[in-house]
Amino acid sequence: MRLLLNGNEAAAHAARLARVEVLASYPITPAAPVMEKITQFIAEGSMKCNFVRVESDHSAMAAALGAAMAGARSFLITNSQGLAYMSEVLYHTSGLRQPVVMAVVNRALAAPHSRFPEHGDVVAQETCGWVQLFCENNQEVLDSLIQAFRLGEDEGVRLPVMVNYEGYIQSHTRETVDVPEQEAIDNFLPLVRRPVLDVNNPLAVNTVTGPELYMDYKYHQDAALQHAGEVLEEVSGAYARITGRDWGGAVSGYRLEDADIVLVAMGSLVSTARLAVDDLRAAGEKAGLLKIRLFRPFPAAAVRESLQAARAIIALDKNIVYGAGGALARELRAGLYGFPAAPVYSYILGLGGRDVGVEDLAGIYRQVSEQLGSGTAPAPYQWYGL
Amino acid sequence: MAVKELPVVPSARPGTMAAGAAMERIRERRPVFEKQKCNLCRECLFYCPDAALAVDQGEVRVDLRFCKGCGICAVECPVRAITMVPEYAGNRGFIEK
Amino acid sequence: MELIKTLAEVPEDELFTGGHGGCRGCGAALAVRQAMKVLGPRTIINIPASCMATIGGSGLTTAWKVPFYHSLFECAPAVASGIRAALDIQGIKDVNVVSWAGDAGTADIGFQSLTGAAERQENIIHVCYDNETYMNTGGQAGSVTPYQAITPDTPAGKPTPRKDMLAIMAAHHPPYLATASVAYPLDLMQKFQKAMAIQGFRYIHILAPCFRGWGIREDQTVQLARMAVECGLWQLYEEVDGRRRVTVVPERRIPVREYLRLQGRFKNMDEAAIQDLQDEVDRRFREVQS
Ligand SMILES: Cc1ncc(C[n+]2csc(CCOP(=O)(O)OP(=O)(O)O)c2C)c(N)n1
Ligand code: SF4
Ligand code: SF4
Ligand code: SF4
Ligand SMILES: [Mg+2]
Repeated sequence: MRLLLNGNEAAAHAARLARVEVLASYPITPAAPVMEKITQFIAEGSMKCNFVRVESDHSAMAAALGAAMAGARSFLITNSQGLAYMSEVLYHTSGLRQPVVMAVVNRALAAPHSRFPEHGDVVAQETCGWVQLFCENNQEVLDSLIQAFRLGEDEGVRLPVMVNYEGYIQSHTRETVDVPEQEAIDNFLPLVRRPVLDVNNPLAVNTVTGPELYMDYKYHQDAALQHAGEVLEEVSGAYARITGRDWGGAVSGYRLEDADIVLVAMGSLVSTARLAVDDLRAAGEKAGLLKIRLFRPFPAAAVRESLQAARAIIALDKNIVYGAGGALARELRAGLYGFPAAPVYSYILGLGGRDVGVEDLAGIYRQVSEQLGSGTAPAPYQWYGL
Repeated sequence: MAVKELPVVPSARPGTMAAGAAMERIRERRPVFEKQKCNLCRECLFYCPDAALAVDQGEVRVDLRFCKGCGICAVECPVRAITMVPEYAGNRGFIEK
Repeated sequence: MELIKTLAEVPEDELFTGGHGGCRGCGAALAVRQAMKVLGPRTIINIPASCMATIGGSGLTTAWKVPFYHSLFECAPAVASGIRAALDIQGIKDVNVVSWAGDAGTADIGFQSLTGAAERQENIIHVCYDNETYMNTGGQAGSVTPYQAITPDTPAGKPTPRKDMLAIMAAHHPPYLATASVAYPLDLMQKFQKAMAIQGFRYIHILAPCFRGWGIREDQTVQLARMAVECGLWQLYEEVDGRRRVTVVPERRIPVREYLRLQGRFKNMDEAAIQDLQDEVDRRFREVQS
């Protein structure tokens, strides 16, 4: 069924199709309409789900975690201040290996106060042990959220998953979205129950752990997160077989074959960059695009493979790690270590909702092309669009 | 060194602390019961923070794997049927506070 | 429901076993032991950061025999809310879902999630085991630490009085609310039995002395808990749908001075302050007992 949906509505439909059983969420702009839509689904009987109307984001994450530990499929939404406030519980959720899924409707962190999009909120949580997926449009929001449950619940993964899409640019913009049939999703996503808080099999969870065990637990957790990258390929493939839509696994290239200079982006910038690449190609430039769909675990191997022929790389970061630069640029440089022929030019742009259009990206491309021609080494990072 | 096999969810199986309990390592005193005085009121059982006391074959017994020697049972016994005795011989008063 | 009338009727099973890591004479562990006798095996408990969260589990070993989760400091009632939502959707019935927190995990950092769960009338039991300080981090003062108590961060005595958590919780109109004491195990266990038979948000506040924090001997834990009741500072009652019933009337009333003078933490309290407290206790005693 094809519907005109904004990102938030697409997320709510995904939760419905995934047969989410517990929603624990606390309102925050511009993510709150997801929970409103789900409670509406519940009220009209098209979804069987318990909504826990918590008094804070911290409690939302805590209740979602409690529900998952007691065996229910559990979902929530948040962003920015809410995500930062939850931080401590994010670590519990991954450390306790609970496959909670969260839609993060990316928004800039205060101060100064802002309610507009960027990726600073999720980048601040890059070490929290969750799988982190980014979506370029509303169809991908719906599809990735459904995939997220199967990925997180996979026997070899058992980890929480964040699905990121940007406030307003995606959350409040309507696009045509194909909403799959319930039966198809039921086949794709059977209900898996692994309660750890179970009166028939009592366990003490999160006991005090000393130096003799803590590190081994963390080794296993990291291995599971790395493994999630491989499982994502499988899950994306299986999803493509039922819906005909293949979002690729961790990364996907656009006009990469003979590309000299490659733009690398996440989230809504990907769709903008596609158009910029087309324009540049039309003007005779050998431009290409690498879309990063999976930020954690970072798909370094896939990135190296995709970029091995590139002469220069442009990292587009809608975030700033103060004093260090863009998070994506940093990952790319680390991942491409040993490829001296492909310098990474790092751009910080679009913070706090500042608009980035096709022309901006084409302009950045030309700047880099000139610098490359003149042999200028890339700056650690530069701000664009001030 | 090999990585340890561990439960996926960091957790412990029920009752495993009891199995490894060895409070003689920290206990300085232990309760001794005067059977003749005890009226089996069971109060001591419910005041022991360490589940060390039980009525067994008509008398109160202490499980010395669990007893930490706090002395609450002795203070609370309504008929003063319990006395705390030092665990260690040697210089009297050296270990006892 | 048959209330337990004698200690001989209480089940022998220990759902929080010996061998745990609490100090000698730990009032917190004692409160759990007593309550678990009646809560029984169909109980899921979560305890946020505190002594009680840590002493029952170490690495791959635990003293718990019911599902237990050592949760984060702020959010035990929220975790319990999520657990209940999950059990309900799976049709799992007859399980006590309990959040069990210290005084900080209840009245201070844990208060936001507590008031939220209470207002939503979540079908859970929240228990505060109150040792009147932050014992797990060394005994610092919190909002229910008594007036003039010496703690590591109030070396001259706490300058402000104890917050009235019972009044605050009563303002949420829970169907069941009770005070309890480790010195009165039968009363405590009966209160858990009553709470279990009621649906909705239930609140039980247990005075559970800690010898370290209070400056007493380790064998005085129960004695001091009893004296708190006998002097009238800690009154034992329950409220069912807001109707109060005093459950223990002390056989003898003792002056608060006797209770205070046994505790190192009140050594700075002068006679005038003690008299003021006595007046306040007497007033409050008449109010509750009437
Ligand atoms: C967010 C957070 N802040 C601080 C701490 C440190 N902390 C752990 S337990 C504790 C005090 C607990 O006091 P209470 O709830 O009264 O329990 P008690 O230890 O006294 O039994 C503190 C401050 C923590 N674990 N988490
Ligand atoms: S001395 Fe303390 S631990 Fe030992 S049996 Fe008596 S009350 Fe229990
Ligand atoms: S408290 Fe004293 S009298 Fe009662 S059972 Fe224990 S030892 Fe016997
Ligand atoms: S410090 Fe106090 S509350 Fe904590 S374990 Fe020791 S006796 Fe119990
Ligand atoms: Mg405390």
